[in-house]
Amino acid sequence: MTRWAMTVDLRRCIGCQTCTAACKQANATPPGTQWRQVLDMESGEYPDVRRTFVPVGCMHCADPPCVHVCPTTATRKRADGLVTMDYDVCIGCGYCAVACPYQARHINHRRSYAYGDAPDETEAARFDPKRMSVANKCTFCVDRIDAGLAQGLKPGVDPEATPACVNSCITQTYAFGDLEDPASNVSQLLAENHWFRMHEELGTDPGIYYIVDGK
Amino acid sequence: MTGPVRKVPQYCYQCVAGPDLLTVKVVDGIATEVEPNFAAAEVHPGGGKCCVKAFGIVQKTYNPNRCLRPMKRTNPNKGRDHDPGFVPISWDEALDLVAGKLNEIRAKGLTDEIGYPRVAASFGGGGTPTYYMGTFPAFLAAWGAVDFSFGSGQGVKCYHSEHLYGELWHRAFTVCPDTPTTKYVLSFGANTEASGGVAGAWRHAAARVRGLKRVQIEPHLSVTGAASAEWIPIKPKTDPAFLFGMIRVLLHEKPRDALDIFFLKHHTGSPYLVGPNGFFLRDPATRKPLLWDAKRNAVAPFDAPDTEPALEGRFTVDAIEVGADGQEWQHAGIEATTAFAKLAEHMKQYTPEWAEKVCDIRPGTIRRIAGEYLEHAQVGATIEIEGETLPLRPVAIALGKTVTNGWGGYEACYARTLLACLIGGLEVPGGTLGTTVRLNRPATSRQASISRGPDGFMHYPMNPTGKDTWQRVPKVRNAHATLVPLSANSPWSQALGPTHLAWMFRRQAPEHWPEVTAPGLWFVYRTNPSISFWETREIEKRVAEFPFTVAFAYTIDETNWMADVLLPEATDIESTQLIRIGGTKFIEAFWDHEGFALRQPAVAPRGETRDMTDIATELAARTGLLEKYNGAINRGAAGAALAGAGWDFSLDAAQEHDAATIWDRVCRAASAEVTDGKATDGLDWYREHGYRTRPIPRLTWYLFPELRKQGIRFEMPYQERLFRIGKELGARLHDVGIGWWDTQLTEYQALPAVKDFPGIWEKDAAKHGSIGDFPFWLLTSRSMQYAWGANVGSQLMDEVAGNLRGHRGVVINTGTARKLGIEEGDLVEVRSYVQSTRGPAILKQGIRPDTLLMIGQFDQWAQPYAKDMHAPSMNALVPMSLDLTDATGSAADLVRVGIKRVSAAA
Amino acid sequence: MSHAAPRPGRVEPWIQSHWDLRAAGNFIGGGSGTGLLIAGAFAAGAAYRPFALVGLALVAAGLFCVFLEIGRHLRAPRVLTHLGRSWMTSEAVVAPFLFGAGLAAAWYQTPLFVWLTALLAAAYLYCQARILHAGKGIPAWREPRVIPLIVVTGLAEGVGLTVALLAILGPLSPVPWPALVLAVLLVARTVAWRGYRKRLQAPTRALAALDQGRLAFDRIGNWVAAPLAVIAAVLASGPVAAWLAAAAGVLAVAGGWHLKITLVTRAAYNQGFALPALPVRGKGSPGAAAKPGW
Repeated sequence: MTRWAMTVDLRRCIGCQTCTAACKQANATPPGTQWRQVLDMESGEYPDVRRTFVPVGCMHCADPPCVHVCPTTATRKRADGLVTMDYDVCIGCGYCAVACPYQARHINHRRSYAYGDAPDETEAARFDPKRMSVANKCTFCVDRIDAGLAQGLKPGVDPEATPACVNSCITQTYAFGDLEDPASNVSQLLAENHWFRMHEELGTDPGIYYIVDGK
Repeated sequence: MTGPVRKVPQYCYQCVAGPDLLTVKVVDGIATEVEPNFAAAEVHPGGGKCCVKAFGIVQKTYNPNRCLRPMKRTNPNKGRDHDPGFVPISWDEALDLVAGKLNEIRAKGLTDEIGYPRVAASFGGGGTPTYYMGTFPAFLAAWGAVDFSFGSGQGVKCYHSEHLYGELWHRAFTVCPDTPTTKYVLSFGANTEASGGVAGAWRHAAARVRGLKRVQIEPHLSVTGAASAEWIPIKPKTDPAFLFGMIRVLLHEKPRDALDIFFLKHHTGSPYLVGPNGFFLRDPATRKPLLWDAKRNAVAPFDAPDTEPALEGRFTVDAIEVGADGQEWQHAGIEATTAFAKLAEHMKQYTPEWAEKVCDIRPGTIRRIAGEYLEHAQVGATIEIEGETLPLRPVAIALGKTVTNGWGGYEACYARTLLACLIGGLEVPGGTLGTTVRLNRPATSRQASISRGPDGFMHYPMNPTGKDTWQRVPKVRNAHATLVPLSANSPWSQALGPTHLAWMFRRQAPEHWPEVTAPGLWFVYRTNPSISFWETREIEKRVAEFPFTVAFAYTIDETNWMADVLLPEATDIESTQLIRIGGTKFIEAFWDHEGFALRQPAVAPRGETRDMTDIATELAARTGLLEKYNGAINRGAAGAALAGAGWDFSLDAAQEHDAATIWDRVCRAASAEVTDGKATDGLDWYREHGYRTRPIPRLTWYLFPELRKQGIRFEMPYQERLFRIGKELGARLHDVGIGWWDTQLTEYQALPAVKDFPGIWEKDAAKHGSIGDFPFWLLTSRSMQYAWGANVGSQLMDEVAGNLRGHRGVVINTGTARKLGIEEGDLVEVRSYVQSTRGPAILKQGIRPDTLLMIGQFDQWAQPYAKDMHAPSMNALVPMSLDLTDATGSAADLVRVGIKRVSAAA
Repeated sequence: MSHAAPRPGRVEPWIQSHWDLRAAGNFIGGGSGTGLLIAGAFAAGAAYRPFALVGLALVAAGLFCVFLEIGRHLRAPRVLTHLGRSWMTSEAVVAPFLFGAGLAAAWYQTPLFVWLTALLAAAYLYCQARILHAGKGIPAWREPRVIPLIVVTGLAEGVGLTVALLAILGPLSPVPWPALVLAVLLVARTVAWRGYRKRLQAPTRALAALDQGRLAFDRIGNWVAAPLAVIAAVLASGPVAAWLAAAAGVLAVAGGWHLKITLVTRAAYNQGFALPALPVRGKGSPGAAAKPGW
């Protein structure tokens, strides 16, 4: 069995948003829609203040509330742990979006453009009408993973088979790999470090692990 | 999209921390996506990645607001309120217009009646435009005298004192920790995570995980502070007090032998004896500085073999002292002491208790930090690199921009460099390193740029201050050679002078100063001083006075609004250029490789835009400079000399060549250079592979081995040379009646003193009202999304930068805001005595209660998209004045302001 | 559904923008409609037609709101394809049976169809309660005690409507039993509300929004309406009793609708983001946990 999962080393992240931009470009998301985004969280009071940068997005939960609630089966969980979207089936009811505790889902009802009321050439070329008025979210770049695997590549190791955010990161904040494989990079990192998962108390068994300290 | 897919190798050099290597995915002839050049991970110090800015290149290419045709101005009136009335013209007409004006100028003479070049040019971003301007530098070289001294950010937006003093002390135009090895970094406002580029971000992240402790000392909690182990909120412009407090602790509260005594004795000027007039005591015969040899109990020249120099003590000696303008004093049997002893005595006054009153940091904290610094230094430890045993001192101090420019910059840089020397951590593994040279030559090698001067320190090409050698009449408008000896005489020196003086003195020349004339023709490329400099409303007016401005335009902006001709360039992924990569470059860009990388057309140029190389060639042809232009390219103006040992790819100087031909030759020469003539692959090879490098020794990261080899000492702690030069410069200026530079002359101290630096800004503000009207400090902070990139009109950058709190607003301490009745998002007005600006309040705990912050530079009123962001900008608020100008000709991005709530959140 | 582009960078919980008044309309129509279908079975018996027609109309109106809310209207039938997992599918599956039985009950008014309708209405109402509860991203919804709250308010609304309908439709006749049942249900509703509110763990703004809505829902919709219903029941007959009963019914319905609007829109703050531990930056210390907005 395989479960694709991601580790996010919060010690490393600097909030540069390179992954945000890379994701937007790799997935052609419209202005305002960010499947991957990095939050800027301040805590404490002056002068004892902390500022933490937290990449968020779809957690590809093992027990995904979005899959449970979806009335159409447009959202599914694959055997390898990836939570997928079928744009041809989704009715855009938004139920998955309110069921997701990670605010990871988006629905775009109107086309929006970087500049003014018309698409530029690259926006026009990449526009996918299937994505309008249906739920969309981070796919862990499932197309890259599948195409890479078909070519015998290893996700998380070979860039062609790895999510764009991981590929782009300039601080090695991200690692991606198979949680079920004890030798994988993510398994190793989790064994060697202290980590948490966001809103773990909700029982979603999320697939993004946040590393905070070495053991 | 299902058509053919290509991944086209490119580089991104939008900021000085580059270059980074990437690929642009092109589907059906349309650029869709930027990716790191994964293959480059093997040679690039940041894993082959590129930063967020590079991802904006696609949108930049297809931005509908681009200028896509040459245009000329139809409205003769210039100014913000005068619509330029640009109308499209053909390239022929545009080039004829520009060439006609150039030919007219050439007929009159390259310099005007005062002696200033009639042609001026301003480029932005720390020299990064040269990585996009193709062979335009060859055209300028062919032209002759050009005035580069109208600044667009230099001096107030750069590490100015670091550039000048850094090059003097350790060939460090920029300085950084040896991040891969260091264990402890004190960062005084250095915003590495925003401005250190991919290499900096990559290495610091790895260092954090490895256990590096970085303490961030700055008035607000920047992204770098966020990623640090500790944040110490220091009062703005008081960093020297903290640093001097640390020096005092090291010198007077720690055992002397905890310092690196050997390093101080043998690798610095610490043991040099100082005479009663403040100059080194010298051997009367050789004029060499003397030290006290404890082995023989006698004086000895600094370079005498087998000595045991005394670090401290009082000694009776016979010697001479050489002062300013050759003045000499003969001394017999005088009591003298060492430079180090003078330093120790001088530093006694700067107790942590004294520092607390200045910088608002508890003495215990300063003592703790000093202790941690010393402890982590591991004095005595060594490391072997490539067979050479070197000291290992894994501690470093990094300084940020507002710390290293303007008043206090000298003192901060001095203290930082001295602290490195005290523990033997300058230019050694783990320590504080310089990364590039710009004022010394050759710029390609720090090691090759050093030679031993007469006093045993590195030679430095000071601008002369002698009676007969001083440049009485400036040759360029910012007068760098006249007023700033340290700015040296390299091609970069003009841009490192007091570049605001060119603008200021245009308005009104000071006493006994030649008129600062407007250039007959001004080239502007990838820079926008009308919004990026200080007191920008003033700059804007001066720009409008220029009679003929030629702007290479991407979109309309606030500077080219005043232009006469707009020439639309083919941008990053539409044009060709080969650049040098690797070695040690700005900021943290240490590589283990060096070579060349290509930028190439991934997509066809939009509209009628043209490759800068083709524009330069056309201008050269139309001004009759083709032979000189081609000659300049042949000599290396395009990045590599076209002929070398065993190869010759020179262009026929008499012919016009298109960009592809020129760059093919440059590529061939570059291949030959990198492979010692073995390969001669041309443009096609680079188009496919993107870059070609060769490994370089790790030892090139460190200057210390070369200094040790040449027997050169670091010019620390006693600044005899600066002291002398200051006296000479003062004499020259006074000789011609100039007294308005007297305050600046006070910076030339042998042992710098901490002055009331914040008071300089407070007094300046108080002249224009009560200081109570301006109770806050206003600072800026860099943003990786925007820094250098001129991408303020990019929707993508705007969107992703919005994820970081602080962009587009006025950051204010939450407690302070509540006292003032300001809530999150309320529209507030921030006012200096020069100007005011408005924006939404952003309440944060991570900023001092007496400080406000505005990130980035947003004051656009013409540039599409950016002008609708309505973000506040401090640039219009910072007064441009001599009072705020230090001896290097720089000022800090800092101003006293008041704030008031205008209305509730929208 | 909001057309505003999501505003990136928010950390503290914010009001979800995917379900708006249209979604609330479904819970309003569905709750009151099914409540009425159930109450009518008890109250009207053979005279079920007006109850069936009004009840079904309300349910239909609610479903029409959902139809307006979804992004792909033509794909609406696909909502039926996740039976056994999605409560939205369950609701949609029950709906045609409910309408079939309801229309038959309206036509024939036989006990079989009337009680079948009531049973299906109860199932539909339960589905609605579970739909809200399964919205795990919204703390104010996922609290298990939202289920009895939604069910009991649906019933209270239905009985309230019944009482009002009886008062309006018939001659102003005595209505002691329905009024008394209403009073009991309103007491049950206030108990359900208190139990829900006590157990609820949600962002402070969500709690504030609920507490702000308490006046309309609990104070007026329960505490004012219930005594009115009791007085009407005690008076047993006459125009005053009828009007008091009608007023109590209207207040009960209005209170329930207000609760649903509050729950689905104003109190529907999402989870936000939280850090149970802060990263150790280099040799720094770990720092306290952060859960902004809670």
